[in-house]
Amino acid sequence: MPFLIFLLSVVAIYFILPHRWRWMLLLAASYFFYGYWKIEYLGLILLSTVVDFFAAQFIASTDDHLKKKIGLSISLFTNLGLLVLFKYSGWFMTDVLHPISAISDSQLNGFQNFWNFALPVGISFYTFQTLGYSIDVYYGRAIPEKNPFKFALFVSFFPQLVAGPIERFSHLHKQLFKEQKFNYTFLQQGGRMILYGLFIKMCVADNISHVVDQIFEQQNEASALQLVLGALLFGIQIYSDFHGYSLIAIGTSRLLGIELMDNFNAPYTATSIREFWSKWHISLSTWFRDYLFIPLGGSRVSRLKLTTNILIVFIVSGLWHGANWTFVAWGAIHGCSYLMERWFISKDTAPWLKFPRWIATMSIVFIAWVFFRSESIEMAANYITNAVSSESTGIHLEWQAVSISFIGIFLLSDIHFKNRSIHSWLNEQGAIIRWSVYAFLIFSISCFAGITNHPFIYFQF
Amino acid sequence: MKITLKLISLVAMLIALNWMYKQSKFIAFVDEHADQYLQLEKIKNCDVIYISASSNFPPENIQEADPRKISQFISDYFPTFQFEAINKPASHAGVYRKLLHIFPKDSEAKTFIITMNMRSFGPSWVNSDLETALNQSNVFYNHRPVLFNRLLLSLNAYDNKPAYERNELVQTQWANDPLPFEAPKNTVKNWCAVEKWGDWRNPTRQLADQFIKQYGFVIDENNSRVKDFDAICEIAEKRSYRLVFNILAENIETADSLVGKDLTSLMTQNAKWLESRYSEKGFKVVNNLHILKASNFTDKDFPTEHYDEEGRKIIAKNIASSLKTIIE
Repeated sequence: MPFLIFLLSVVAIYFILPHRWRWMLLLAASYFFYGYWKIEYLGLILLSTVVDFFAAQFIASTDDHLKKKIGLSISLFTNLGLLVLFKYSGWFMTDVLHPISAISDSQLNGFQNFWNFALPVGISFYTFQTLGYSIDVYYGRAIPEKNPFKFALFVSFFPQLVAGPIERFSHLHKQLFKEQKFNYTFLQQGGRMILYGLFIKMCVADNISHVVDQIFEQQNEASALQLVLGALLFGIQIYSDFHGYSLIAIGTSRLLGIELMDNFNAPYTATSIREFWSKWHISLSTWFRDYLFIPLGGSRVSRLKLTTNILIVFIVSGLWHGANWTFVAWGAIHGCSYLMERWFISKDTAPWLKFPRWIATMSIVFIAWVFFRSESIEMAANYITNAVSSESTGIHLEWQAVSISFIGIFLLSDIHFKNRSIHSWLNEQGAIIRWSVYAFLIFSISCFAGITNHPFIYFQF
Repeated sequence: MKITLKLISLVAMLIALNWMYKQSKFIAFVDEHADQYLQLEKIKNCDVIYISASSNFPPENIQEADPRKISQFISDYFPTFQFEAINKPASHAGVYRKLLHIFPKDSEAKTFIITMNMRSFGPSWVNSDLETALNQSNVFYNHRPVLFNRLLLSLNAYDNKPAYERNELVQTQWANDPLPFEAPKNTVKNWCAVEKWGDWRNPTRQLADQFIKQYGFVIDENNSRVKDFDAICEIAEKRSYRLVFNILAENIETADSLVGKDLTSLMTQNAKWLESRYSEKGFKVVNNLHILKASNFTDKDFPTEHYDEEGRKIIAKNIASSLKTIIE
């Protein structure tokens, strides 16, 4: 609710202000928004912004290749350093160094007592966004912004600050400073996306989250069928949760006349892992493609190097989500499956093969979700073992029958909206259908959303 | 023109949806999450309503000859009047204020007995973990369209601070709020640190600490519960309600024996402050603070306002004698 008030105020003031003041309003609003979470962490985003601003200026000001590399290294060191310090240092000490006796119990305790900060929200997203900018400047794909405050807005733009989509400088920067006249279409497009985003987050994701929690927490008592259901439901939960968030972020930005990139395109219709990754968390997967896979050599390298590069990209992508071996396993499963496809399966698919390939792809994706959701590799392995061998009669699952309808509506709409948005679909409909959809969404959000507070899953990354 | 038409359609649609919700899901939902909302409509035509937390109830684990509530004992003194009670465990003036606000204006009930629980003014109750659930119910105690209230719940648009944040607030207040004594009794934290009952593992020490924590504060007009009671008085004045404030009995004997006169004098001073503030506003205040012996309190390991049969009867008699002056 405070966000709604904040958003409506920002949108109203934005269009009242003359063009030259608008970006300053967005910058102030973005810093206020981030500081509202926890004011101490403003220092981190400020550090990342200042370092990348000067690093980019330095890179662009010289033709000396070595100096350019030094500039880029400073940017890489700072951003990845922040991530390592706040996201991975605890895990590295506890789950990597300590098990191999590289550090003692007392050293580990000393570290844990000293370094017990909560993960700053959005750090994985804005560090990657600003890092992408430095790399673009290094490769001459972007001309650095000369005004540090304007650059600060690119890094902190509030609709996508805490969980993406991770934007490219060339796409977002010019829009932030483009003169916009108030247009009813902005409200219409943004409003529709926010409404649908709220529906899939609050009615689909939140309503199945406690069923998923029940099954994962009682995995030794649940029946095999319930465990399979748990994995399927978690896959739907994480998709509807993150897709819902992304639509709200994109819709919020659209209210200001700014278009953010799409993050999803019906990923569960994919018939290969390769296709899945072109439809799932698109802003991150294309980031890894452009800023890690291609700099490592892309596809034009030896087969051994290509295999290594692909595995690196997928494992890093897993680790990006969190400091835990389960995320490494999740990335590795996708990486290995991707390689198998690349080596053994032809790209040309006969129509009759599509369904079996879809089944195979989804099996891999949903098995990988078990690792993503589990607290440890052992628990994930236990879950999968039980799912194929449990003889338990099952646990009592509490869930509303209406949730099943919502899941059905969401998945069917997702297929229907493939390659287009709800906004464009609604535009094609007559007034009766449009208003019936609005009424359905508003009524569902108001009456059937869970009342327990469920933060967006991707906020923790 | 087109936008005006769309706005009108939107408003019409929301009114229709609100009606649909009221006819379908509303009653079952409110019954589960804000049951007092429905209770108000049922009891609106009685004569006197007794509003309290769990202090009205008899103890669950003790067999009594007459296990009735305080409100029922009061009603014995007024055989021709119909009494009803609204009780919600852990509730406080913040909830009573909301209930009074939505109490049907066309009701015949004009007399309310409202409990003032001394502990409810202190930091640990003001910032209790139970507040989130109470705030959730409070969303419904408003004159707003019911669908909008439900939407606010869906959006978690109420104070739903996590338990650790509430605990931090309590600890900060115990460490910083000044008490009217010389050090080391100048804050709750310091006072607890010099408790005379030995090691913290000693159960007597733990109980003494709890007495300091539950009653070690000074009530003034900035206290959030005082603001709630002030708001209750305003509603009563507007609607010509008769109020009787019942300052609940506390276990003064045990507080005195475990902690000493400094604490009991602070409790007495706080009760007198409340008595004088609300008497001056023209309402009845029954000060029961000192009225019971330690043996009347049924909980022995924590300071509470749960009373045995004798205790409930003594409180009822005291309230009844005050109530007689305004309703007979």
